[in-house]
Amino acid sequence: MLTLYPRTAAFPGLADTGIDDFLVRFRRESGFLIWLGVLGGTLLFHLTPLLTVFVPLPAFALPAALREKHASRVLSSRIYLLRQAVFIVKMVAGLCWGADPAVRAKFGLPPMPADPGTWRQS
Amino acid sequence: MSHIAYRDEPFTLDVDYVVVGSGAGGATAANTLARGGAHVAIVEAGPWRDPEHYPHSAYGAMRDLFDDFGAGVAQGRALWPIVQASCVGGTTVINCAICVRTPEDIFDQWEREHGVAHGDFRHTIWGHQETLEKELCAELVPGPSAGRSSELAMQGAKAMGYDSHVMTRYAKGCVGSGQCLQGCRSLRKQSLNLQFIPEVLAKGGHVVSCAPVDRVLFQGRRATAVTGRFRHPQTRKKGGTFTVRARKAVIVAASVTHSAPILERSGVRNPALGTGFRAHPGTGIFGIYDDVIDMNVGATQGWASTEYRVEPGLKLETLSIPPEMVASRLSGVGHELMARLGEYRHMAMWVLAVRAESVGTVRNGFFNKPVIKYGFDRADMLRLRKGMGIIARTHFAAGAKRIVPGIYGLPYEITADQLSLIDEAPLDPRAYIAILSHLFGGCPMGKDPRRSVVDESGRVHGYEGLLVADASVIPTNLGVNPQHTIMALARTFTERLLDA
Repeated sequence: MLTLYPRTAAFPGLADTGIDDFLVRFRRESGFLIWLGVLGGTLLFHLTPLLTVFVPLPAFALPAALREKHASRVLSSRIYLLRQAVFIVKMVAGLCWGADPAVRAKFGLPPMPADPGTWRQS
Repeated sequence: MSHIAYRDEPFTLDVDYVVVGSGAGGATAANTLARGGAHVAIVEAGPWRDPEHYPHSAYGAMRDLFDDFGAGVAQGRALWPIVQASCVGGTTVINCAICVRTPEDIFDQWEREHGVAHGDFRHTIWGHQETLEKELCAELVPGPSAGRSSELAMQGAKAMGYDSHVMTRYAKGCVGSGQCLQGCRSLRKQSLNLQFIPEVLAKGGHVVSCAPVDRVLFQGRRATAVTGRFRHPQTRKKGGTFTVRARKAVIVAASVTHSAPILERSGVRNPALGTGFRAHPGTGIFGIYDDVIDMNVGATQGWASTEYRVEPGLKLETLSIPPEMVASRLSGVGHELMARLGEYRHMAMWVLAVRAESVGTVRNGFFNKPVIKYGFDRADMLRLRKGMGIIARTHFAAGAKRIVPGIYGLPYEITADQLSLIDEAPLDPRAYIAILSHLFGGCPMGKDPRRSVVDESGRVHGYEGLLVADASVIPTNLGVNPQHTIMALARTFTERLLDA
C-alpha cells in the first residue's frame, strides 16, 4: 500500500497517515466481502511481479522503484479482474490517505472531526 | 410514539400496516398511511442516524450509511458498484435530493408497453409531486452555494449551445457544505429521516431499526406479518427475532436490491419476480482548469442538463468528490499519482448518467445477499461514449486546459485537439470506472401477471394485503433522478390502499 501513495515534497505519504491503525480499524469494521477483496488484491499484488516487471520475486522483495513500476503496470493490466482486485487496495488506501488532516490542508480543506459511529438507540 | 433499535431479546408488534424499508418509497408510504389515521410500523434494516451521528469522512459514510459497506456490485462483463444506503431514511440520507418530475413520455411508455398509467394516473402523480415539492421545500440551489464547478458547467453548456439549469433539490437554503454524500449536517437537505418519519412517530407509529426483514409471512394468500433478526450496526452480530404483524397490509419498500429478494425468500410465486432490473450507469470526466475550482466547496451537485435525455439518452450533472475518492479515481500510482493529485484544487468533475436500455435480474443469493446480474449492451455503450464526448467538449468550452477521461487504454489526460480519442474510445464496459446509482425494477408494475409483479396500485398479483412501493415497481428507465417519482408512486399506492 505504501508504494501506491509515497511521501513526496508536496504531500505526506500513506506511511505518515496512520495506515496501520486504519487497517486494524478497517478489518474490525468492514464487511467480510470487502475485507476479502483487500486481502485478495494484496495477495495478487505481491504474487504478480513476474507478469509485470519479469522478476520472479514477490512485490515486497523488490526495490522501491521497481515495486512502483510493478504497481503501475498491475493497475493497468489487460486482465480486468487483476487490475480491479488491486484497485480495491488502492481505494481503501486512498480512504485513509485523503482523510488525513495534513493531506486535507494541502487541498485547502479543514481537518475532519472523527466519525462518531453512533446511532439512535431508543 | 416509539423507536425500537437493536435488541437481543425477541420482539413482537401488532399494527394496521407494516412498511419494510424507510427510504423514499417506504417513508412516504408510511407517512401517507399515518396521515390517513392508520397505525403504522416501519421496519428498517439499518440503524437510525440523526445529523449528530452522521460521519464526516467518505470512509465513515461507507461504514455507517452505505448498504454492505458499499461493496455491492452488479455482475456483468464489468463489475460496477451499486450505491445504496442502509439507514433510517434510506438513500435520501446520502443522495443529493435532486427533484425532477416524472417526464410525460414515461407515462406514455408505461401505458403502451406495460398496460398501466391509464387515464388520470399521470395527473395524480404530478399532483403528488407538486405537493411533495412544497412539503420538502424543493428549491433551486442558491447561487452562492452552487460552487465554481457548477458555474463553469453552466458556462460550458451555454457555449456549446445546449440547455442546462441549476438543479432543483429538496434542500432548504443549501449552504454548499459539500457533504450530501455523508448526510447533511447543516440540516438543509430534507432527507426523510428528518421529515416524514418523525411525523409517523408523532402520529403514534413505530420505527423498528437495525431490523433486516428475512421474509413476509402469509395466511393462505394473505400477507400478515414480517419477520427477521435484529442486526447490531457496529458488530453485525445477530440479535433477537422480531415479528411485526399487520392487520391490513404489508408494504415492501426495501429498495430495488432487496424488495424482490425478500419476496423470493417469502415464497412469492411470480414469473416476473426479480426481472426488469435497470439502472442509470454513471461515469465522469475531470476537467483541469487554470483557476482554482475547489469542487468540494459548494453543493455536491448543483448543475444538470436533460437536453440529451431522449436522444441519445443521457443526463449530465456536476458532482464533487472528496480527496479520499479522487485518490483512487485518478489512474497511476506512486510519485506519478502524487503529482496528479497535486492538481486536485484545479479539477472539476462532471458526470453523465445513461438512460440505459439493458435489462438484468435481481435474485436472492447466499446469506440473503442480493445477486444482481446486469450486462451492458453495445447500444448503451455507444450512449455512454457519446455522453463522454459531450462532457469532454463542455469542459473545453468552459475553459479546461486538459481533461482526465479515466478510460482504460486512453492517455491519462487529453487536450482539446485529441477529442477524437474519446469518440473512438473502447466499447468494452470494463474500460470504464462507472457506478450504478439509480436502480429500477425487480418487481415491475404491469397489467399482465405473467410479465409483471404488481398492478398499477402496487398490489402484488395473486396475493392479498401485499404491496410493493419503491423503485422496484418502476418498469422502465426514467432518464431523470428517480426520488420524486418513487415518492409520488408510494403516495398514490397508499392513498388507494386507504380508500380501499
